[in-house]
Parts: sequence; C-alpha cells; structure tokens
Amino acid sequence: MSDDTQSRSMQKFLRHRPAIVSLAIIVIYVMIAATLLLSSVVTIEQTLRPVGPFNLPGFGGQKLPEKRLSDIERDLNAINTALRRSDTQEQLRGVRSGSLVLGVTDPQQLRTELDDIQSTIDRLYQYEDLDLMVEDGTDNAPEMLEQLGVAESRTHALFQLPPGQTGLGRQLELLLGTDQQGRSILLRGIWSVRVAILVGFVTGIVSVILGTTLGLLSGYFGGWVDNVITWIYSTFASIPNIVLLIVLSFAFSGGEFDDIVNGWTGGLVGRLVGGPLEETLVPVFIAFCATYWIGPCRVIRGEALKLRELEYVQAAQVLGYGRIRILLRHMLPNVAHLMLINFSLLFIGAIKSEVILSFLGLGVKKGPSWGIMINQSGQEVINGFYWQIGTATVFMFGLVLAFNILSDALQDILDPRHVG
Amino acid sequence: MWAYLIRRLVYNIPVFIGILLLVMLALRVRDPVYAFLGKNVSEETIEARREEFGLNRPLLLARPSESQFGRFVTQVFTLDFTEESWDYPGQTVGEIMGRCVGPSLALSIPALVLTTLISVSISLFSAWFRGRWIDQALVISAVIGMSISFLVYIIFGQYFGAFLLPELTGYETFAINGYVHPSETTWSEYFTYYWPHHCLLPVLISVIVGMGYDTRFYRAVMVEESGRDYITTARAKGASQLRVMFVHMLKNAMIPIITRVAITIPFLITGSFLLETYFSIPGMGRQLILAVEHADFPIVQAFTAVFAGLYIVVNLLTDVLYALVDPRVRLS
Repeated sequence: MSDDTQSRSMQKFLRHRPAIVSLAIIVIYVMIAATLLLSSVVTIEQTLRPVGPFNLPGFGGQKLPEKRLSDIERDLNAINTALRRSDTQEQLRGVRSGSLVLGVTDPQQLRTELDDIQSTIDRLYQYEDLDLMVEDGTDNAPEMLEQLGVAESRTHALFQLPPGQTGLGRQLELLLGTDQQGRSILLRGIWSVRVAILVGFVTGIVSVILGTTLGLLSGYFGGWVDNVITWIYSTFASIPNIVLLIVLSFAFSGGEFDDIVNGWTGGLVGRLVGGPLEETLVPVFIAFCATYWIGPCRVIRGEALKLRELEYVQAAQVLGYGRIRILLRHMLPNVAHLMLINFSLLFIGAIKSEVILSFLGLGVKKGPSWGIMINQSGQEVINGFYWQIGTATVFMFGLVLAFNILSDALQDILDPRHVG
Repeated sequence: MWAYLIRRLVYNIPVFIGILLLVMLALRVRDPVYAFLGKNVSEETIEARREEFGLNRPLLLARPSESQFGRFVTQVFTLDFTEESWDYPGQTVGEIMGRCVGPSLALSIPALVLTTLISVSISLFSAWFRGRWIDQALVISAVIGMSISFLVYIIFGQYFGAFLLPELTGYETFAINGYVHPSETTWSEYFTYYWPHHCLLPVLISVIVGMGYDTRFYRAVMVEESGRDYITTARAKGASQLRVMFVHMLKNAMIPIITRVAITIPFLITGSFLLETYFSIPGMGRQLILAVEHADFPIVQAFTAVFAGLYIVVNLLTDVLYALVDPRVRLS
C-alpha cells in the first residue's frame, strides 16, 4: 500500500466515529489487563477467597429477610462454636465473616452480646415466613424489618476489617455483590479481563504471525513448499474447530504435558512459570494458536498468489532483489491490512471460545474467567440472583462488541471488496 | 466432473491420514490408560489394559499391522468401529455413534432450516429498506446479538422457557433433561409431544444465536448483489421492485446462501456441544465431551476421525453442488 492510500485509510478510520469509540473501549480493557499483569492491585487469591455472605446483591442491595436471618445465624454460630472450645482465644482469632475478622475478643463481652442478639432473633422466629410478610405488606412487617436490621448491625459491629484492608477496598469488593461462595463478583470480573485480553492477544498475535509467515512462503514460493504447507493447513482445517480445541485442550490437561515439557527443558519451564503449567494459560494458548492460524494462512496465501504475479513484484525480481527482501519489503506490507483484520477477528473468536471451553472444564484451570462465571450463575439465575451473570455478560459484551465494530470498520476501510 | 472428484478424493487421502496422525498423537500426550483408570491402580492392571488395547505397541515405526497408527488407519478406512468403549463396557464405538446421531440431527436440522429461512427473510427485508432506520436497527441488533455469549442465551432461555413459563402458564412447557428416543414411543407421539417438549427450546435458542451471524452475512450478500448491473438492467426494463428482489436478486443470491448452508452440514452431525450438554440431549457432541471427561479414549479417537472424514466429504460435495448451481463455476 502506498503512503497515499495509507493516509487515506487513516483519515477514513479517524472519521469513523463508532470505530474510534470501540478502539477507546478496547484500550481501556487493555489498560486494565496491563495493570493487573504488572502490579498486584488484584491478585488471584483475592478472587478465590470469600469476602462476605454468599449471593449478596450489588450496590448495597439486601437479600430477602429469611436469607439475611440465616446469614446472621451463620456468623453467630461460628462465634458460638469458637466460644465452646477450650482454646477459645485461638479459635476466636480464626472466626471469619467473609474476609472480616472478629473485632471483639473478650469472651465475656461476646457472650452477653450474642445472648442479646439471639433474643432479638428468637422474636423474629415467631413469624412464619418473613419473606411473605414483606411481600404481602402485613402490618408488623416494618417492625420485623427494624428488628432484623438491629440484629444485623449488632452482628456486624462484632467484626472488623482485617489488617491491611481499607473500608473503601471492602466497599469496592462488595460493589457488585458476591457469588455462591461469597467471593467478590467485581474482582472476579476484573480478573477475567486479564484472562480474556491475554488469551485474545496471544492467540491473535501468534496465530497471525504463524499464518502470515506460512501463507506468504506458500503463496510466494509455490512448488513443494506450497504443497507441504497446504497439506498441513488442510489437515488442521478439516477437523471442526471446536473438536480440535477440545482434543488439544484434553491433551494438555492432566499434568503429563507438564512432565514432558519439564523433561525436555530440565524443569526450566516449570521454574519460570512458578508452578504446574497446567494451571497457567499455556495449554489454552497452544490449543487456540494451533486451531486459529489456519484462517489467516489461507487468506494470506491467496493474496500472496495474487501479489506474486503483479508487476512490481516481478520488477523487483528482475532487479535482482533477494527473495527474503521481496517477501519482507514488498509483499509483507501489502498483506498488512489482512493481518490486522484477521487479528481482530481471531481476538473475538478466542474470547468466545475461551468462554465455551471454560464451561466444558477444558479452558482456564485456576482462577475465574467469564466462562466460569457465567456457567456458575446458572443456578443463581433460577434463584433470582443476576449479579454474577450480569457482570460477566456486561464485561464480555463491552469487549466483544467493541471488537466486532472495530473489525467491521477495518474491513470496510481496508478490504472493501470483501463480502460478509 | 468425475475426474475432478477423483482428483480431489485422492488429494484428500494424505490430508485425512494427517488428521488421523494428529488426533492419535494429541491423544497420546496424556497416557490414555492412566487418565482413564486414575493413579491408584496397580501397575499390572495398567499393563494389562495397555496390552488389551495395543497401546504398548510401537506408535509409527513398524509394519502397518503392528503399529498403533497402522491399526487405527486400517480401522478407519475399513469403517471398522467394533472397538469396545471403555466407559460403557460391552458397547462398541459404532453402536454408541449410531445411538447418538439421531438426537443430534433432531436438534440441528430444524435449527439450520429455521435459522436460514428466518435470516434470509430478514436480510431481504433489510436490503429492501437499505440505509433506512429499520435496516440500521436490524444491523445494530445483529452486532449486539453476536456480542453476547452463547452461554448467556442458554441460561436465560432455560430460565424463561423451562422455569418461568411453566410457572406462569401452569403447563409443562419445556424440559431441560430427559430426552426420549423415538424408539421408546410411537413416532406420532414423538413428533406431537416429546420432540417439542425436549428439543424445541434448544432449537429456538440456537436460531436466536445463529440469526445475528447469518442475517449479517446474507444482508451483505444482498447488498452486494443489488449493486450489480443485471439489477440496473432489470429496473431499466421496468421490472417492479418486488420482482427485482425476489426473482432477480434472490436467485443470484442463492449461490452464497447454498454455500453457507452446505458449510454447516458437517456440524449437523457433530451437533451443538453446548446445547446438548445443557439440555442433556444424548447427541454426538455431548457424547464426545463426556468421553473426553471420562478419558474414554476409543470414543474420542473414533469420533474425531469420523467428524474429520465427514467434513472432508461434505466439503467436496459442496464444491460439486456449487458447480451445479452456478454455471460460471468450472470444476478443474
């Protein structure tokens, strides 16, 4: 592409407002992911430990009265169990409500407090069904709710923030509620951004580079090089994508792959990664790259076949330029637009497949991802809790929509003859 | 054409052998016997099973009848699927495959037909109002629909169809498990009650998910066609807008439509992994996933080989079909 067309494409792109907005959104996601990669604002441990009662709604919402009551009871029970043991002090230090620790550690004081709260709760037990009372708006519903509130706040007052956490941090953790195990939905959603961006970028970049290299070689040299490369990609392309992904992910799970890699490298990889490979994203990367390089390879091979016959390439040949130079200086820039389009298409494909593979238990093994979150929330939806599925969907929707719009715009601008 | 067919077939033999090799190697990264039996079994049991399934033979470098690869290739090419499944003792891989094809097709064929019909209609509609607000709204909703995860559609589909709807109407509308084979009842009952009960909801979900992608593609095709010279000619000769769209344009747009439908035919058999798993429909996709989970190695190996073979054959047929539909295409 000459400088002139390049600047014209650039101008078109700058005038394409949806594309610019999408690019900005993608940059935000990438920045979130980069922050998580480079610092420890959110660690994987934080996404795996409970921070509060389970299925707490977001934005300070409250559960139904019956569930609030059982949350209070759970906290009281934990304290009671600790009080009954002989090593009371030791046990009390281990009592947790989510991530909160006990603030009051004097057993005598605790006992009187617990008795007080218990008596309030006992009064609440006289009612048959608290949820129904609120729903029907019976006369004593406000009074009941007030008592519940008192019991709740008195229970909460027994606990305090663990050392090293600020009140703001806790509010953020609980901003979008908690999942079935009391883990912070916001932190899990954000951690999943890191997973998605990593999977998308690595798959996109590696697959495009691999596909472009092989495609260019195949299209330019022809002959046996072309035959071999076409054979390889026909082989990979003839297995339905999802089947190949499943078989490859299966192959890399289970630890044997770890042993093989570590056997070859003398344990180097294991030490570099700092744990079993299986728990990292490496198996997912390999499965995705092995599957997704085919698309760009086919497209770019076709383009290279066309370019090879163009006058400027032939002129370069006549001038006696080396093959490498022709490939890199003359042909590569002319398939750059296809690389860009393919990258954005693969990015979407990888993110969506990651979600499906994680659901099938073959994707991300340690820590959350959007697929794991959505899959977990199936039961929650039936119970009327939408925070987890909502968070994962919104996070994922933003990124995928932005990439969809961007790749459409790129296609319109860079490859206008393409249909569909 | 026959020469072309044969040439393509011959060309595809090394490809297919490549696939078998790939599948076989991928499935041996993990020790299949270990994965199946777990790590708490004695060495003898493991050795015995290895012996039984020929997994202790050389992989490649031996006479064809001796090596594992040779045996696998022979089995596939002679369509010999009599190997016993590990997870279902006493049942051969072929039997299981035969049992699973039906449910997959019961789901995938209606889904494909409905998706295509609806998408083509919408895309015609969209192309008719091209550039107007209704067209833009359709395009935008297609992109939005494509950006939501399949899982979300399934979860909310199940919630509304199988949980909320029965509660509201008092009828047992849709089920999310307990698929009934037609052989267990009469065909008429199957079609009037069991099929809609178990399969209609997944089919609808699949249609909604597929609509976004298909509508966008078909609309692009229609828009592309509507700019061609023959349309201008037809208009100049005074053909009505309706006639131009349905007689001239749709006829020419049939080529990409048929191609797109043909491409998805292999996936009719593979079925939808997600839908089958979520709705416990005992189809091919779910069976493959189960086999992977339980390390049922003969099934994974055979299913993958069959899927790939099917894929190759159908792609070949697609090219032929393409030539039959479009006289401009020459097979060479």
